Amino acid sequence: MQWWCSASGEPWTWAPQYYPGVWLSVAVLAVAYHALARRARSLGESRRAVWGGWAGIILTWQVLDWPIGPLAAGYLASAHAVQFVVLALVAPPLLLLATRRALSAWHARGGAGRRVITRVTQPIIAAVLFNIAAVSTHVPAVVDRLMPTQLGAFVVDAAWFVGGLLLWWPILVDAPRRAWFSEPVKMLYLFLSTLVHTGIAMVMLVRDFPMYGIYELAPPWPAWSPIEDQHLAGGVMELAGAAVIFGIISVMFFRWSGGVSGDPPPPAPPRD
Amino acid sequence: MPPQKLPIALAAACLMAACSPPAPRHGVAVEPALARPDFTLTDTRGAPYAFARETQGLLTFLFFGYTHCPDICPVHVANVAAVLRKLPFEDQRKTRFVFVTLDPARDSLPHLRRWLDQFDASFVGLRGDADDVNRIMAGIGMPPAILGTPNADGSYEVAHSAAVLVFTPDDSARVLYPFGTRQLDWADDIPRLLQVRPSGAR
Repeated sequence: MQWWCSASGEPWTWAPQYYPGVWLSVAVLAVAYHALARRARSLGESRRAVWGGWAGIILTWQVLDWPIGPLAAGYLASAHAVQFVVLALVAPPLLLLATRRALSAWHARGGAGRRVITRVTQPIIAAVLFNIAAVSTHVPAVVDRLMPTQLGAFVVDAAWFVGGLLLWWPILVDAPRRAWFSEPVKMLYLFLSTLVHTGIAMVMLVRDFPMYGIYELAPPWPAWSPIEDQHLAGGVMELAGAAVIFGIISVMFFRWSGGVSGDPPPPAPPRD
Repeated sequence: MPPQKLPIALAAACLMAACSPPAPRHGVAVEPALARPDFTLTDTRGAPYAFARETQGLLTFLFFGYTHCPDICPVHVANVAAVLRKLPFEDQRKTRFVFVTLDPARDSLPHLRRWLDQFDASFVGLRGDADDVNRIMAGIGMPPAILGTPNADGSYEVAHSAAVLVFTPDDSARVLYPFGTRQLDWADDIPRLLQVRPSGAR
C-alpha cells in the first residue's frame, strides 16, 4: 500500500486504492479548518463562506485521493492539470474566504509565526513564491524525477497548495493591511501573478511531442494518446485557470466599481 | 603534423563528414552491426512475408511483442507511430514498422491486424510458430520470449525483449531502442537514420 499517490508504472486498474497519507493530510487540514472556521463564524463570517471552505476541503480530498490522485501521479497529465487548478486556484481561495476573519484576528493578536506570514504574504514575495512553485513543478525533468516517488509527488501537491494559499492570502485576508494594496492593485496582482502559469499551459498546448516522460511512457490510457492528453492538460490549465482568475477579477472589479469593499470588516473584539 | 599537410587533412575530414550519415543520438549501439535477417512469416493477410525482401532498402523498425501486453508494447508502438505520422510523406514511404507476435496462441491474424490498426494501418504484423520466432530472435541476438504462468482467468504475460531494432536503408542494424525511448528521441534520430544510403547506392 502506498501512503501517497505516485507513478507506479503498473497498468491502470479501476480497483480502488487506499492512500493513508492523503486521508491523514486531509483530516489535519479539516481539523485546522474547523477550528478556524468556528472562530471566523464567531467573528461574523457568513455560513455560506464556511460551507464554501468545506467545499474546498472536499475538492482537495477528491483530487488527491483515488482515482484522480493516482491518475494524476502516473497516467494523465490532464488529471494532473485538474489537480493543479483545484489545489492552487480553487481550494485555497475557498478556505481563505471562510477563515479570513479568524486569520486577520490571529494576525492582529501577534500570534506565533506572524512575522513569517507577514513576510511571505507580502504581495510581490507571495507572487514570486507561487510562480516558483508553479514553474519548478512543471519542468519536465523535475516532474519525471519527483512523480515516481511518493515523497516527490507529495512535495509537488504540497507546493501547489501552499503556493495557492500564498497567492490568494494578500487578496483575501488583508492582514497585515497594506494601504497601497488597493482593489485595482489586487486585480493587477492576480492577473500578473498568474501569467506564468498561463504560459506553461500555452507551452503544453502547442508542443508537438509529449513533454513528460512519466505520462508518455505510462501504461496506455485507452481514451486518448499522450499528446492529446498533454493538449487537454494545457486546455484545462488555460481555460479552467482563466475562468477562476478572470471570474474573481470580474467580481472584484464590479464590487470595487460599485463601491463595495471585498475586505472583511475589522475583527470584533473577542466575546469572552 | 607538418603545416603543409593540414589543408589536406581538413579536406579529407570534410569529405568524410559529408559522406557519412549523421549518427543517431539515442538508442543503444549494436556492435558489430547486424545484417538484415532473412526470414519468412505470415502477415495479417495470411500471405507469406519475406522480411529481407519486403523491407530491403527501407528504414525498418523490427519489434517483437504481443497484443495483450499491458504496458511496454503498446507504448513503444504508439510512440514510433506518433513520430512516423509527422514525417513528410516521402519519408514515410521509406519506412516500415514490422511487429512480430510472440503470442501466436492469442494473437490471431485478424486480432493482430485490429490491434496494429489502432496505431497505424500501414504497420506490418507477422505471426509464426513460437519456435521459429524464437529462432529468428536468437539470430539477431535477442533473448527468447518466456510465457508466464497463467492467472486464474487464463490470461498470462510474456516476458520479452523490449527493444525496437532499426535496420537502416543499407540493410544493417547499428542501433536498437529500448523501452523508455521518447517520441522526441525518435523524432531526432529517424531523419538521421533515413539518411543512411541503401547498400550499393552511390
